[in-house]
Amino acid sequence: MTGVVITGWSTVSPAGVGRAALAAAAATVPAVATVPAAATVPVGASAGGGWPVEPLPAAPVDVTALSDEPLPTTTGHALVDFDVRAHLGRKGTSFYDRATALAVVACGDALRDAAVQVDDGNRARLGVVLGTSLGSFRSTSDYTRETLVQDKPYLVNPVLFPNTVMNCAAGQAAIRHGLRGVNATVATGPLAFLDALRYGTNAIARGYVDAMLVGAVEEFSPHRAWTTSLTGQPVPTGEAAAVFLLARADQSGWVGPRREAEVLALATAYGPGGGPAADRALTGCVTRAVRRAGIDPAEITCVFTGETGPEDTDEFAPACAALGHVPARMRVSRLFGRCDAATGGLALATFLAAPPTDAAGRLALLTARSPDGGTAVAIVRGWPDAGPADR
Amino acid sequence: MNRVVVTGLGPVSSIGIGVSAFTDGLREGRSGISPIRSFDASGFPHRNAGEVPGFRPEALLRRIDPARWGRSGQFAAAAARLALADSGLDPATVAVDRAGVVVGTTSGESVVVEAVTAQQVEAGFGGMDPDLLRQVPAGRLAHAVSTELELAGESLTLATACSASNYAIGYAYDTLATGEADVMFAGGADSVCRWAHAGFFRLGALTADACSPFDRDRSGILTGEGGAILMLETLEHARHRGARIYAEVLGYGLNCDANHPVAPDRASIAACMRAAHRNASIKPEDVDYICAHGTGTPANDSVEAQAIFDVFGDRVPPVSSIKSMIGHTMGAASGFGAIAGTLAIAHGFLPPTINWANPDPALVGLDPVPNTARQASVRVVQNNGFAFGGNNAIVLIGAVE
Amino acid sequence: MTQTDPRMAELREIVAEVLELEPEELTETGDFAEDYQADSLRAIEILARLDKKFKIEIPQSELPQLNNLKAVYDAVVRHSAGQA
Repeated sequence: MTGVVITGWSTVSPAGVGRAALAAAAATVPAVATVPAAATVPVGASAGGGWPVEPLPAAPVDVTALSDEPLPTTTGHALVDFDVRAHLGRKGTSFYDRATALAVVACGDALRDAAVQVDDGNRARLGVVLGTSLGSFRSTSDYTRETLVQDKPYLVNPVLFPNTVMNCAAGQAAIRHGLRGVNATVATGPLAFLDALRYGTNAIARGYVDAMLVGAVEEFSPHRAWTTSLTGQPVPTGEAAAVFLLARADQSGWVGPRREAEVLALATAYGPGGGPAADRALTGCVTRAVRRAGIDPAEITCVFTGETGPEDTDEFAPACAALGHVPARMRVSRLFGRCDAATGGLALATFLAAPPTDAAGRLALLTARSPDGGTAVAIVRGWPDAGPADR
Repeated sequence: MNRVVVTGLGPVSSIGIGVSAFTDGLREGRSGISPIRSFDASGFPHRNAGEVPGFRPEALLRRIDPARWGRSGQFAAAAARLALADSGLDPATVAVDRAGVVVGTTSGESVVVEAVTAQQVEAGFGGMDPDLLRQVPAGRLAHAVSTELELAGESLTLATACSASNYAIGYAYDTLATGEADVMFAGGADSVCRWAHAGFFRLGALTADACSPFDRDRSGILTGEGGAILMLETLEHARHRGARIYAEVLGYGLNCDANHPVAPDRASIAACMRAAHRNASIKPEDVDYICAHGTGTPANDSVEAQAIFDVFGDRVPPVSSIKSMIGHTMGAASGFGAIAGTLAIAHGFLPPTINWANPDPALVGLDPVPNTARQASVRVVQNNGFAFGGNNAIVLIGAVE
Repeated sequence: MTQTDPRMAELREIVAEVLELEPEELTETGDFAEDYQADSLRAIEILARLDKKFKIEIPQSELPQLNNLKAVYDAVVRHSAGQA
């Protein structure tokens, strides 16, 4: 038990801005029962937890408006009409890159959702940690491009220089919302949201802050779309920011009446070289997290994985091996495309957006894995008395 | 809570690769600045940086293939390999899942990003090399270390810009203090790149030939590069294996200016120092030496010094900047600072601020340890790190009591 | 006559964009820092855009004087002299 609770959240995703938009999108996609390939049912696991039930893949949208450059495909998962000025006005926002804009809007909306008023009395005790793959690939690459194509390589835009640094979004979120506590950026790609959750939980548990905005962001850009295409990824490029307000359960000033979920356990490990070593690392993470959470693994009825491919069980199979049964599986990439760092955040939001049914609350296991062998998991309990109906 | 100690040092720097060469460089006040070779700097008015031209990854790395990993990841992995060797630890005696890595960085695999961008300019987006695109993610800095040393514990890359190594050391310290791990490799890595050189020049923050922090006529930074990794372990683990212990990590403090993307903030930096002292259970008068952020820009050094005056009053310890020697190594900078601070404690000397000629009348009372290293008994070091985004991070390192 | 020089309108456009203002919000004598919360990055960016737009080179050392629209206009006129 970490003693850390989630008291509000927001996402900016292809579904729109805010929790209601995400909940609506998740609810309108019809679910289909899919029998997993034989390989996904590990030896010794029973299928008692139910077959995976997942939504059908959402249809990608026309994204050509988001790029002056040719794109490898005309469609993707993006919030094409997102306009930061509609949310934050012009002042201070016109030099944001897209990733920064998505993140700053999601941070503000999460604060509102958690009913946190930031003022001089609490801003030093409130921080933010955001996950990313490499910040804005577009900002960085475009800056370099300017040094290559200009007559003089140093005629670059000084105002855009901070956008080339990976902590830009977290720094701008702090400026916009006045957050003076721990401010961090975790750059571990597909692991980044769960790593940010761990980083933020640690900052609270160690007493460095009372509360943290924890999230992750990826923007749609031609740079990411071409990376998806050229490296042969099966799922279209997506974009999202997902941000959660975390606070210590015993801090009534921060938590108030709104408790939505508790972070029960987090674990991370590395399987050098990937492959079977990473399988073992992920199985070990799940086993350790279940032990720390003090739960019966049979209570885990759904696993949210970062898998993207139709046949991919790189996360699900090791997780099932550790749990000893085959729970339902949810791959949020089917709804939101390939969102890299933001994937775990979308998974947690999708879990919390579903209306609670069980009076005892529900447990979710979230998993993530990187191509090199990084793995991370979280176990979260969604409380039944704080679902969408509360809001 | 476990106590946490430093038992291995791995600097890959422009003034020396490995702890012995780096120590000599600090003691001699060596300059690692040279004409830029890693990119074509001919179009820039300023053409010097703190590159590590002597870095030969194949000579240091045993497991990772330099062809598959970017330059910053190679710096991190090589530095960790050196730190492990320096520590005398037999990796076989540590449970692999109890050993992890935290690497800080500003620009991640910047050289790879620049290479794919050049391909874009040359042949359009479709001309980018998929193998290089796979090397772009910044998370591979920590993964390079984990892969090189075959570590199965945490593998985390923190991208909090120019204070990122202090973030990494702080987080690794927490992991050890709370019993999550027995051994952690922590520090940072970055590579000299074209876009940072251009950006700092455009800000008017890049000097021409020599970086002279705290000097009256200081005129900016020089970009630098390298890998700086410290091996940390719990005191109990170190004592049990009979390790040579350099120093103890006493604690750290983080905060955020929440004010301006690039301008430093005096009150916020002072608040960060106070938080670090509180978390490390020390008082300002316990600090014997401040390893400064000391970039050499007029603004940073002035604001940093004023914040030090605010916190330390009339008992200001010596304050020097090793950036005068190695340039601004970005995400590795506070890692090199932590290594220098550890060596100051272990060997009883203060690294100098070189290129220093004239006192700044606005900084009366500041002793920058000008030009020559000084013998001194050092019990507690404050290692400052500040960054774009207002990410302040300060680590306190002390002699083991 | 600054009012009739078409460059004034262009300058107003450039400066307003960098300072995140509507062009009509920007007066000729309003101080960039005091009245419009501009920082040094914005000032450098204004300089950079002038250099690009008018193919001139205003030295960075003049930056402290370029604190309002009128001063920017005067600098452009001064550095354009002898060109075009």
